[in-house]
Amino acid sequence: MLSIILLSIFGIVVLFLGFQKSKNILLPATLLCIAIAFAANFVHWNDAPGLYFKEMLFENRLTMSFSAIVLLSAFLVVALTRGFADDEAAQPAEYYAIILFSLVGAIMMIGFDNLIMLFLGVEILSVSMYVLTGSDKRNLRSNEAALKYFLMGAFATGIMLFGIALLYGATGSFNLTDIRGYVGTNSFSISTLLYVGLLLVLIGMLFKVSAAPFHFWTPDVYDGAPTVFTAFMSTIVKTAGFAAIYRLLSGSFEGIYNFWWFTLAAITILTLVVGNITAVYQQSFKRMMAYSSISHAGYLLLSLTAMTAQTPDAIVFYSLAYSLATVSAFGVLMAVAREKSVQSHENAEDFEAFNGLGKRNPLLAFVLTVSMLSLAGIPLTAGFWGKFFIFGTIVERGNLIWMLIVAILMSAVGIYYYFKVIIATYMKDGETGALRVPPFYRIVLIVSTTLTLLFGLIPKLLS
Amino acid sequence: MFPQVAPSIPQVIQLIPLNNYLWLSTALFVIGIVGVLTRRNAIVVFMSIELMLNAVNLLLVAFSSYRSDPTGQVFVFFIMAVAAAEVAVGLAIIVMIYRNSRSIDIGFLNKLKF
Amino acid sequence: MLSDFGVIFLFIITAIAFIAVALTIARLVRPHRPNVEKLTTYESGEDPLGNANVQFNGRFYVIALIFVLFEVELVFLFPWATVFGQASLIAQTDGLWGWFALAEMAIFVGILALGLVYAWAKGYLDWVRPQPKLPAVKSSVPADLYGKVNKKYAQKTKSV
Repeated sequence: MLSIILLSIFGIVVLFLGFQKSKNILLPATLLCIAIAFAANFVHWNDAPGLYFKEMLFENRLTMSFSAIVLLSAFLVVALTRGFADDEAAQPAEYYAIILFSLVGAIMMIGFDNLIMLFLGVEILSVSMYVLTGSDKRNLRSNEAALKYFLMGAFATGIMLFGIALLYGATGSFNLTDIRGYVGTNSFSISTLLYVGLLLVLIGMLFKVSAAPFHFWTPDVYDGAPTVFTAFMSTIVKTAGFAAIYRLLSGSFEGIYNFWWFTLAAITILTLVVGNITAVYQQSFKRMMAYSSISHAGYLLLSLTAMTAQTPDAIVFYSLAYSLATVSAFGVLMAVAREKSVQSHENAEDFEAFNGLGKRNPLLAFVLTVSMLSLAGIPLTAGFWGKFFIFGTIVERGNLIWMLIVAILMSAVGIYYYFKVIIATYMKDGETGALRVPPFYRIVLIVSTTLTLLFGLIPKLLS
Repeated sequence: MFPQVAPSIPQVIQLIPLNNYLWLSTALFVIGIVGVLTRRNAIVVFMSIELMLNAVNLLLVAFSSYRSDPTGQVFVFFIMAVAAAEVAVGLAIIVMIYRNSRSIDIGFLNKLKF
Repeated sequence: MLSDFGVIFLFIITAIAFIAVALTIARLVRPHRPNVEKLTTYESGEDPLGNANVQFNGRFYVIALIFVLFEVELVFLFPWATVFGQASLIAQTDGLWGWFALAEMAIFVGILALGLVYAWAKGYLDWVRPQPKLPAVKSSVPADLYGKVNKKYAQKTKSV
């Protein structure tokens, strides 16, 4: 819990560092702050699980792992913002401060023990993301993405809040343990308010992690936002969102599993089908990644539906694999699109941008290939083990084998569109001439690719 | 005609059955949802969202007063503060769009289509 | 016996009836001779000018936003005030409670004040931002020459 306090203070410090003449100090300072928070996150690793701040926040090894994933992906994404401070009109200090504040929200979502904290965490994270989405102020696409994200996000918050109010009406408490107690003791006379409330809270949360049929804002927002922040959104918001849903369902509502599993199963199947099938038809890489992120939300939901003892480990591993692969994919896109957008403003983010990348810059091509393979779930990458563990939880549950079949079919569809990128990279001819990559990018991409391969070869490393 | 001793606020609130509060706030909430889904003006959509949040506030206060448990009211404070922050960011986004496009009709926003 | 809300309801009905009756009688009794002067918008004797639906200065908006944020955060002072002076809590902690609560609120207000300082330092609180417009005239006289001349004569006048 130390990391929350530290990140809040660092956020303010970075904000005021912006008054300095030299903007070059901001990026290293932010990276240092995240690194310190990462270290502080593990202070209580060997202690028993504990409650903090008058039973508001909960911390055990699981929440620490989730926070570590969030902080690691934040570190990688922030390192990719190099060159961001070059623009005179930009306010880099404010963006870095907002990123730090949004991490506070993410960690609150991961470790909440009281619905007030869930609400605050969701809002801190979302409001920061609205600002970051619209940070390209003069670009109408970015503006539009920000407005859509804002309206949909606030709408989802409203629904979630109504659900929380109903849960409070049924149980008389916002505390997860008390709600669990209510569900346990009154198992035959549970108020209808509780069921409706749980459904509304779930809908609100599923909006935030963009599960179908609440996904329609995702492609537009991912497409319109500046690419750095798309990477930030698709890794951190997703990881924190799933950690929060897991905590809610396992912390309070395991007793009424029979009530919610079918709803969640239906949403899972819909998410998997919609995400994967629509991704096939996309021309823009960023939109493809948006739909692919919807389909990955589907796999994570699959594990939540099973809700066995292995579920938390599976979600942790999958989020880690997904975050690493996504960061490297967007990193390559940024390196390529920056070069390309100088020459022409059209279609800088289409698949064609990658044509001939294998010859122009073998390193970028390799990084992109590994990340696509990992997202598709091909062996020897972390993504394979992620899917393997997820499917393992379904097998353990036993009666949900039909969902497993759908999921496997859909990951076969996924292989098609991920390989389209790899084919564009190696088989198609595009522009010639070597592509120069800033050293900072190279380090980030090498780190994330190495981790992907490392976890692909030795998945035991994490446990 | 007037009661001799002024009743406390929870007593006054409890003169009305809990179900009425529940129906009232559900009605407000649904009006908000319909507003979000049907209106085209960003500001009106925004107002509908605020209506949803206030329906929640009403419900929380009613529950809290019936259970004589102050936590619900504290939550209302948090909702109000966070809603203000949201308003600030949302209006800033709308003003930004107005500056660039001279319109706040959400039908105008169709740059992002495939 | 009416409940409290019944009384309020009666008041509302009476108010509506009173206004309706008064307006109807006035309509029946008064003479009806309109002219242009009478029909214009009342603006305390001024002639109404232009459209009422004008756009306000954008500065209003920024200041209003800052005001709304700080105003709403103050709502947290109220629950704090209810526990700050609680005699039982103070007795339990030998008076330490008051200091503890005060320190907590000082931190909260301090963070808010930092936000205000930030807005101030960025210049969002200035009503008119000083942005002197330099005339862009092409001239063969270099710009710094004027400065030099000014300096020179300033020194001269000082020495005199």
